[in-house]
Amino acid sequence: MDSYDASKLTPRQDASSRFKDFFIGATPLQKRLESVRKQTSFIPTPPRRKIPQGSQLQEDVDPQKFAFLLHKQWTLYSLTPLYKFSYTNFKEYSKLLNAFIAAEKQKGLAVEVGDDFNIKVIFSTLMGVKGTQRDPEAFLVQILSKSQLPSEHKEEKVLWTGWFCCIFGDSLLETVSEDFTCLPLFLANGTETNTAIIGTWFQKTFDCYFRPLAINAFNLSWMAAMWTACKMDHYMATTEFLWSVPCSPHSLDISYAIHPEDAKALWDSVHKTPGEVTQEEVDLFMDCLYSHFHRHFKIHLSATRLVRVSTSVASAHTDGKIKILCPKYLIGVLAYLTELAVFQIE
Amino acid sequence: MDETLAEFFRRTILKIPMTEMMTVLKTWNFLSENQLQTVNFRQRKESIVQDLVLLCEENRASLNDAAHLDIIYTQFHRHQKIWDVFQMSKGPGDDIDLFDMEQFKSSFKKILQRALKNVTVSFKDAEENSVWIRIAWGTQYKKPNQYKPAYVVYYSQTPYAFTSSSQLKSNLPLLGQSFETHNSTTSLQERSLGLDINMNSRIIHENKVEKERVQRVTQEIFGDYPQPRLEFAQYKLETKFKSDLNGGILAEREEPLRCLVKFSSPHLLEALKSLAPAGIADVPLSPLLTCIPNKGKNYFKIRDK
Repeated sequence: MDSYDASKLTPRQDASSRFKDFFIGATPLQKRLESVRKQTSFIPTPPRRKIPQGSQLQEDVDPQKFAFLLHKQWTLYSLTPLYKFSYTNFKEYSKLLNAFIAAEKQKGLAVEVGDDFNIKVIFSTLMGVKGTQRDPEAFLVQILSKSQLPSEHKEEKVLWTGWFCCIFGDSLLETVSEDFTCLPLFLANGTETNTAIIGTWFQKTFDCYFRPLAINAFNLSWMAAMWTACKMDHYMATTEFLWSVPCSPHSLDISYAIHPEDAKALWDSVHKTPGEVTQEEVDLFMDCLYSHFHRHFKIHLSATRLVRVSTSVASAHTDGKIKILCPKYLIGVLAYLTELAVFQIE
Repeated sequence: MDETLAEFFRRTILKIPMTEMMTVLKTWNFLSENQLQTVNFRQRKESIVQDLVLLCEENRASLNDAAHLDIIYTQFHRHQKIWDVFQMSKGPGDDIDLFDMEQFKSSFKKILQRALKNVTVSFKDAEENSVWIRIAWGTQYKKPNQYKPAYVVYYSQTPYAFTSSSQLKSNLPLLGQSFETHNSTTSLQERSLGLDINMNSRIIHENKVEKERVQRVTQEIFGDYPQPRLEFAQYKLETKFKSDLNGGILAEREEPLRCLVKFSSPHLLEALKSLAPAGIADVPLSPLLTCIPNKGKNYFKIRDK
């Protein structure tokens, strides 16, 4: 694959052309236009990537702690560096964010679960969720509700969770000064209303900028190949792809699931370079799936739109949704997503 | 009115969305205009329902009236149910009988009541010589469960009947006919094919011949009429991987690839019909897709021969 001069191909965004309140105020059409624009701009991608190795978490961390991150659907955003953010101010941030949410509630932009509920905001560090020592620590924000009823003794329910991380973010870390903390990948679980409120607070407090992170078909194919390449002792889920056919007057979805052992066998047959995945291998892997399908159905899947890939490692949807299933490859999955987030920021 | 019947009225009326309430009640035609006017429809729904149930009691409503209301509700919400279609076949010696609706209803009810002591059967005539039959099943010792009725819609001038409810399957033999799975047929009509020729002669259509061929073949396969409405088709594939272009991939592997392919769409057959003209599928289309209407099924298992 030829090498490309990145600076020529990705036009720097003029500050004035960025929609500052894009995140909250944008209409669905604007959001869609933005993401389509991103998808069609040429992405100079590295021609090869390393296959995720298992257990890249720091050794002194208990992997059970991350169980709550798994099997949950996260909506992805890219986040520009946070200005004057400090890990020692978590208590204060909790208070401020709590007050902000209460104020928004007054305005009528309520936190959705009943106004009878008291809420609690918790900031905490997620130890060990990083790629190298240089990566800043990941941190977690949770909104909990406390039931007021005396009968239910102080049961706390998690209403919303969001976490910020940076996995192998060297290319971004090198560009910023010390006042900034780089955590380019943000993952949220909970209602969009809550995500919007919390996002607004962060943007105001740290002069940063969230943007939904869509995943185009090109990257979905890479993910499918990389996750199929991961060594698994046993498979928890089938390997599945979902295509959406744009042309027909009525929408048509094609789901193609293949037994994970067979997907692995296909991958092993395609794979040549140990420890790495190359563009050629990804293309060949997808090509084989397309041609097997075409042999039976005479349909060219490559002419349709890949919207979702799902494996035992993780599943990803083009709208920027991810679900991580395998703790062993948590860091590997996050590394790819960080890369996409960093690209979107730069 | 006994409590269980009142409760059944209450729950049936409660199901009806407020936007449809007046229409349904008027169609039911059991409560008079005057009676309906006495109800304050601005209250909370529970209170409205309470008032309506009281009116039913005043009119001494019976189980039969409740069943009628249930049928009307179902007619309004027929799209929310899943219907099986059956086609009745005639034996070689049978004559064409003159159909008498009343006789049909009476013998239908008799057959069921003779076989099952506890069963509620209700009828409502509907459009195009059809009848809606509501059947609430009980057992030897238990009264019929009014909350899980089965519905049969029979179009008397056709050999087709539609049924809804899983419990009905075990009771099918009672209906005393043999059924076959509904087979849809679309008639092909000869028609000359004319593509839109653009009046502006500066615009040239590429691949005109090919496009015409695709249109013609598509029409031959699918016909002119709208396709039967189908929402998904599923294929279980267990076939070896074979590829000429990607030589050598999985060449030594004896085992087939185990795949499950599912097509879904609000209108699947129309969507498949549009694939070839859009260039997404080749013509002739794969027999796996075109055989859906002919075989009358949408679950397939494909293996290497």
